[in-house]
Amino acid sequence: MKIMQKGWRPVLVLILLLIIWQVLVPLFQVPDWLLPTPYQIGLEAVNSWPNYSGHLFATIRLSILGFFIGSSVGLGVAMILHLVPKLRETFYPLLILSQNIPIIVLAPLLVIWFGFGLLPKLVIIILVCFFPITIAALDGFRQTSGELLHYMKMAGADRRQIFWKLEWPHAMPSIFSGLKIAATYSVMGAVISEWLGAQEGIGVYMTLASSSFRTTQVFVAILLIMCLSMLFFAAIVLLEKRVIRWKTSRGGDANG
Amino acid sequence: MAELVIEQLMKSFDGAEVLKELSLHIEKDEFVAVLGPSGSGKSTLFHLIGGLYEPDAGAILLDGDNINGEKGSVSYMPQSPSLLPWRTVLDNVLLGAEIAGHKDQQAAIQMMEKAGLAGYEQSYPHQLSGGMKQRAAFIRSLLSPQPLILLDEPFSALDEFTRSEMQQWLLDIWQRNKRSILFVTHNIEEALFLADRILVLSEKPAHVVAEFKVKFERPRAQDITLTEEFLQYKKEIYKVLKKGELK
Repeated sequence: MKIMQKGWRPVLVLILLLIIWQVLVPLFQVPDWLLPTPYQIGLEAVNSWPNYSGHLFATIRLSILGFFIGSSVGLGVAMILHLVPKLRETFYPLLILSQNIPIIVLAPLLVIWFGFGLLPKLVIIILVCFFPITIAALDGFRQTSGELLHYMKMAGADRRQIFWKLEWPHAMPSIFSGLKIAATYSVMGAVISEWLGAQEGIGVYMTLASSSFRTTQVFVAILLIMCLSMLFFAAIVLLEKRVIRWKTSRGGDANG
Repeated sequence: MAELVIEQLMKSFDGAEVLKELSLHIEKDEFVAVLGPSGSGKSTLFHLIGGLYEPDAGAILLDGDNINGEKGSVSYMPQSPSLLPWRTVLDNVLLGAEIAGHKDQQAAIQMMEKAGLAGYEQSYPHQLSGGMKQRAAFIRSLLSPQPLILLDEPFSALDEFTRSEMQQWLLDIWQRNKRSILFVTHNIEEALFLADRILVLSEKPAHVVAEFKVKFERPRAQDITLTEEFLQYKKEIYKVLKKGELK
């Protein structure tokens, strides 16, 4: 209900833009292969469902698998780096540095190393997923309130208790923001990996369509990728609402 | 049982002496208040008893055992309530016991009831008022198995009205659940109203400069703060504190 109340403005703008698009294309006589109208795209999306449904499910499977492995690796790395400060000091800068390499540049290398199977695709998704989660979780762990930490220490909590009873739950909101970013990245990573060479997937569908100038299908592919990303994002938001029930609408009081 | 003896405690940080030959003792089920000017090393004293640091010299004995640098030997209530915001109040009051390794949910529920927190078991800390949070924090330390409780200016962040209410509440619940208590405060009246004995600390490097036995009958009611005797105590303590500052 709230979304309905707050969300009508952007929705209205979106509809307006689509209408302008729909009107301008025939007005300027833009050919279909250059820019189809929203109506044509919608029609194509509905009619060719049997053609692309297989591709869609392949991409969903790949992204979910990659996302799970990537986030687990990301969380694991964050925990190790946090619990062993020396490791964090050593690897944190390298981690940041590694993000200056665009993943897309690595892709051909991964193909040389791992061939065209599932592995290089997963590696790409894991690489894009794990970074936002690791950074978010590390920040969450480190920002643990000093007062609470002091209490835990005075109460005699050992390192393990401090981590699981204090730092871990404290980092939950940060971890979830990392997960949200990673979830949308995983779709992007999956599509990029499919471009490199795959049997099926939205990426494949898109390459086939663009090489034969079926622009409408390219737009359908873009639409699908958007929807998929949004769906993943929404799933994480729902999960977050279930897990973090103690956060109040006014932001919560960190020190109770 | 819970007898705390501190002998000739020394601690300095970066060459600056904070505690110098500080000695004190607390008997079983005794309520002792420590008064001192701000920055007199009261927190350092607590950190040493809590085992966060090792003293440079001296000994901290609890029931005859040396607990220098040993964490978890005492239970602790800090200045801010320090409740974990993601835990319900019930889970929060159980935290101290949980860390020590044995929790008793039934006892916790009963204690909350007696302490005026009935019905808030499943609430989250942000739903409580400042005074209620402090009650929860005190129950948390009462439910911990340790026989000695350290209270670090627990009511200093509360408004005057809530504070006196909380002092009365603390005495009531302590009367029924006796523990040895070491209570740090900078409020003379608070110390007088609550404690059996008051220790006055000097400026840094801190040691005990004076000791007052407070001879009011228990259970105490708020109106003893208006008696002539109370004022007399207050004057004496004030004099000692002033002298320490001028020195």
